[in-house]
Amino acid sequence: MARELPLWLRALVRITSPTARDAEVGDIVEEYVEGGASPLWVCRQLLSVAGRRGARGDVRGHAAPLASQIAADVRYALRTFRRHPGFAAAAIAPIALGVGLNAGVFSILDAVALQPVPSPDGDELVSVYQDFRGVKERRIHGARQMFSVPEYRVYRDRTRTLSGLAAFTRYWTVTLGGDAPREIGGALVTCNYFEVVRIRPALGPGFTAANCEAPDAPPAVVVTHALWTSALGSDRDIVGKTIVLNGRRVGVAGVAPEGFGGIDVAQVSFFAPVSMQAVLRPEERFHLDPHTSWLTLVGRRQPGTTIAQVRAELGVIAGEIDRQWPGRTTTVLVEPARSLSIPVARRDVFRLAAVVAAAFGLILLVACANVANLLLARAAVRQKEIAVRLSLGAARGRLIRQLLTESLLIAAAGTIAGSFLARWSFQALLALLVSLAPGQIPVLRLDAGLNLHVFAFAIAMTVVASLVFGLAPALHASRLDIQTLLNRDSAGAGRAATGWLRGSLVGVQAAVCAILMIAAALLFRAAYVTETLDPGFAYRDVAVMSFDLRGAGVEPARAAAVRNALIDRVRALPGVELVAEAGRAPLTPGDTQTMVRRADDERWQEIDFNAVSSEFFGVVRIPITRGRTFRTTELEGPARAVILTENTAARLWPGEAPIGRTLQMAIDNNRSTTLEVVGVAADAQVARIADTRHLYMYLPAGRDSSAGRALLVRSAAEAAALARPIAAAARDLAPGLVVSVAPLERNLDLWRGISRAIAGLSGALSVLALVLATIGIYGVVSFVVSRRLREMGIRMTLGAGLGDVRRLIARQTLRPVAIGLAVGVAGAAAGSRVLGSVLFGVSPLDPWSFAGATILLLAIALAASLVPMRVLAALPPAAVLRRE
Amino acid sequence: MAKGDHLGEFEHIVLVAVLRLGSGTYGAAIRREIEARTRRSLTVGALYRTLDRLEAKGYVRSWAGDPTPERGGRSKRHFEVRPLGVKTLRASREAIAAMWDGLEPEVTRGS
Repeated sequence: MARELPLWLRALVRITSPTARDAEVGDIVEEYVEGGASPLWVCRQLLSVAGRRGARGDVRGHAAPLASQIAADVRYALRTFRRHPGFAAAAIAPIALGVGLNAGVFSILDAVALQPVPSPDGDELVSVYQDFRGVKERRIHGARQMFSVPEYRVYRDRTRTLSGLAAFTRYWTVTLGGDAPREIGGALVTCNYFEVVRIRPALGPGFTAANCEAPDAPPAVVVTHALWTSALGSDRDIVGKTIVLNGRRVGVAGVAPEGFGGIDVAQVSFFAPVSMQAVLRPEERFHLDPHTSWLTLVGRRQPGTTIAQVRAELGVIAGEIDRQWPGRTTTVLVEPARSLSIPVARRDVFRLAAVVAAAFGLILLVACANVANLLLARAAVRQKEIAVRLSLGAARGRLIRQLLTESLLIAAAGTIAGSFLARWSFQALLALLVSLAPGQIPVLRLDAGLNLHVFAFAIAMTVVASLVFGLAPALHASRLDIQTLLNRDSAGAGRAATGWLRGSLVGVQAAVCAILMIAAALLFRAAYVTETLDPGFAYRDVAVMSFDLRGAGVEPARAAAVRNALIDRVRALPGVELVAEAGRAPLTPGDTQTMVRRADDERWQEIDFNAVSSEFFGVVRIPITRGRTFRTTELEGPARAVILTENTAARLWPGEAPIGRTLQMAIDNNRSTTLEVVGVAADAQVARIADTRHLYMYLPAGRDSSAGRALLVRSAAEAAALARPIAAAARDLAPGLVVSVAPLERNLDLWRGISRAIAGLSGALSVLALVLATIGIYGVVSFVVSRRLREMGIRMTLGAGLGDVRRLIARQTLRPVAIGLAVGVAGAAAGSRVLGSVLFGVSPLDPWSFAGATILLLAIALAASLVPMRVLAALPPAAVLRRE
Repeated sequence: MAKGDHLGEFEHIVLVAVLRLGSGTYGAAIRREIEARTRRSLTVGALYRTLDRLEAKGYVRSWAGDPTPERGGRSKRHFEVRPLGVKTLRASREAIAAMWDGLEPEVTRGS
């Protein structure tokens, strides 16, 4: 029968023990351990003995009486809740909602950016990045702050503060060959990667020196447990066999333990040595290039070494590397390793989280204001009780503490309910985030949920919230004057005194509501715009074919021939009118940008571009308004010709004819090439929705690259119907080639989806705020009406009309609403710019959204205040007078 | 009977329970005995509050026992009824019995 106390109960016992007597706590523990009592029973019993130490005999300092008072307060508050379950529910539900949603947001942030990575003693791991100035030449595969192999080796060999330093790349997509080729993600890692993160392969030896050091080492990979079970049939003899990656045979050196997919938030399916760079991307060789950023470093601190020491040491090493490249100064960034470690990505995630948390925080604020109002109303009802206690000698501090205990308990109950809600809201938020992420995203490792971090966050929020909604009413209730309270009857009690507090609470609610509703209105307008807009190009009846010739192992030399053959085959399919090449299909997420300047202007300007063949303009029906499209000769070799959009031409040469003029385009930091403007195309929203303000140009699609590239196919047939013959044609030309065929409209849907999801979320939030605020306004007005019925009755007896009385109350109760609205509108105007990137052309100060939301809110406030006033009309004045 | 000697219903029940269990019984056993016989649940705090009162009035005495592991190293508090307690209990019982005298059959029939 004997069993252990669960951790949380043990904590509760430990908290209670100093204020209770040993024998009594011992009885309770014994009953749980041997008698099989429920945890709930233990909680109840602990409450009953808490604070009894010092109740006769064994006093210990002054803490005991205070503790016993607190225990008594808790017992008293619980009794109150039991007697008024409606009040308890009305108070707890909004807090649960507010805390739950906020904790949900926090749990995601916590999982990606705050938790240590999944490795034994993960808190010893540090991630290393660098920031440099004075660098002329740098190629980037990932992020600029990453390292090259030669740089990595210097740090690895010289560091003494780290017991090991490994490097890994971000997510690389490759094609896994076989009967049904498919794309999987992998990371290139240094051979000591598994050693540094202390993960031992479940099968096989993992990487050996032979895989890593020799430049012509036989290619080998460690596959994840997930890939091993899903694609390799859980073959226990897999080690030593080969799999096909990008058309090359690669030996399997091991299987990672179950659940391990790398320490990055993007989970991979295999790990390969960095020396396999050229095997997976044969057209580029940057494996040993000192000027390519492509590796993230992760190191394990020596026991007893601080991050500051690591930072100092690596800084010295960086200085030595800088000496080889005059003019360069490097700052080393060392942080505890986290799933999301790239500094730029972390900044973006924190920014996004800040906006979302602000929205959810506002909801919590509205909820707090509601509860505060509820407590105020109750305090008014309890004024007599409080006055009696004060007159019997209760200290004010004691009363404040008791009222605060009540609010703390409301908050605690709200937190517990909210934590469960957090789990659910986390799932929902995650689904939303995934739907917002552009394109295909890798599997993310997010073991977010209820952990100590999240719980501590929820508790911190609880304390803040309960102070916000509990302190004001408590202070106020205890400041009452006993004499007047005991003497006067309940009519009009505390009217003037609570008026301003009640009013400001309603004002806060109205302000928050206005902010959220205006944001929602703007986002709904944006969603409407994206649903109905004409992007300026024809997206119907166009299919996007994307493929990566590298994935099929096609030699760079043969790539152009294979691609041309594929184009010919697709062009010959029934129903196909026109086929065009493009570096990227219109509205593909992400940017391709470069810098240009007019030949006679020193100023470089950022410009978006796409490399297209001459058929592109026909396929998407973008008219060439001046000049011509590309000639076949211009498609070969490096780009010499350029087609600008009308807007770009007008911005570069205002009021002048652009045809025949020349532009300089940057190639790298000190070289540029000259482009001649051969044509001008109509403006179209090809880079992003509702945005033609950025400069945009079309370059000729060169035929010499083997990189991934899209084909746009104009055809009367459905994209789905095209997929099969296209796949068949692709298989003939290059076995193992994975081709995806999708309607171009899907790119538009992606933007619509983002817009819809954000508008939906903000709409739901604003409805929530509106409901809470309506309840708040309704509550306040009905309270004022019921408290002043007698006064109104007198006024009406003396000849005031029903309308006069109504106006009087409305003026009084709606004034704070109006002030709150004004503050909210100002706040929204100041803050709506943060939504700019998802408003898709709708102005952040869109008057329709502002006016609509404000008028709607005002109308609802008016309605909420009219309903409780009906009681005035229903009762004849005499009855009103009698009622009191 | 003087006012200070009066036994409340719960005090009566607790005192009888200690008497039944004999000298040296302790809190948990007393609580189980009362719960089993009266079929009502009571809190540890309420029981000890009553025991404290009975001790102050001189009806019971208590002493601390040795700590035991199943109680997380906490000691027991043992109780026994003092002669004054037995005397008061007897008086209380007699007072109640006297009030009931002759009334019992009517109440039993009604139930």
